[in-house]
Amino acid sequence: MSIPYEYYVALSGLLMVLGLVGVTVRKNIIAVLLSTELMLNAVNIAFVAFDMKLHDVAGQVFVFFILTIAAAEAAIGLGLVMAIYRLRKDVDVEKLTELKL
Amino acid sequence: MDLHVIAFWSFSALAVISAFGVVFARNIVYNILSLISVLIAVSGLFFNLGAELIGSLQILIYAVAIVVFYVLVISTVPEYKGQSVDPKYMLISIPVGFGIFMELAYVSIYGAWASATGIFSPEVLKEVGNIKAVSSMLFTKYLFPFEVASLILLVAMIGAILLGRKEQVMEENNEHSV
Repeated sequence: MSIPYEYYVALSGLLMVLGLVGVTVRKNIIAVLLSTELMLNAVNIAFVAFDMKLHDVAGQVFVFFILTIAAAEAAIGLGLVMAIYRLRKDVDVEKLTELKL
Repeated sequence: MDLHVIAFWSFSALAVISAFGVVFARNIVYNILSLISVLIAVSGLFFNLGAELIGSLQILIYAVAIVVFYVLVISTVPEYKGQSVDPKYMLISIPVGFGIFMELAYVSIYGAWASATGIFSPEVLKEVGNIKAVSSMLFTKYLFPFEVASLILLVAMIGAILLGRKEQVMEENNEHSV
């Protein structure tokens, strides 16, 4: 008998929380984007584990869409990082405060 | 001991250790190397679960294409001087994150999993194969979201070209003309 699927979902929760801590804690804006990739991967693990438990393939189709969205998000987010760097010569989230009142 | 069990524990330990490297390592290059390690470990977990199509797409798209974006950007943006981690957010976010993880782990291990099961039982999957099952659903029931995803990729490509364009080219042309 193999591993119960609940362990996969718990591992997904651990990776999700690590990504959340990374988004909160890091100061470099590229590292914040890397942490969001970690959270997307946690969601992928949960989708595939639920799929195998519930005998369906719809979750794997949605993992396919998440891969697409992650590629688009990386392209747009890193393009924004490049534009911000060209404008401000800095990638520190503490110093990018134009929208703060 | 079953091979599935060994594979699960080794891949998940690798994924968690590398995820700590992604979040807490100081150098951004080490962050990206740890992210590649996480992605390959997660792909191994997908193969272990029996989702071969998603595992290979994970390596192809994530561990190659997306990581190349990040490497290009960190080679363009010079080194970041300053502290990598904010200690005042660290004090708040570590206990809160631990609490959220405990809650998620409790719900996923002891929670009720009763739900309707689909038609792709392991016997059917053994007969059809995972790739054929996933792609048959993808190109019949989810055809419209598939097309919308291609549209999103097109819009993202145009946006990335517009955002990453250098403004200096036009300024140089103006200087030459003046």
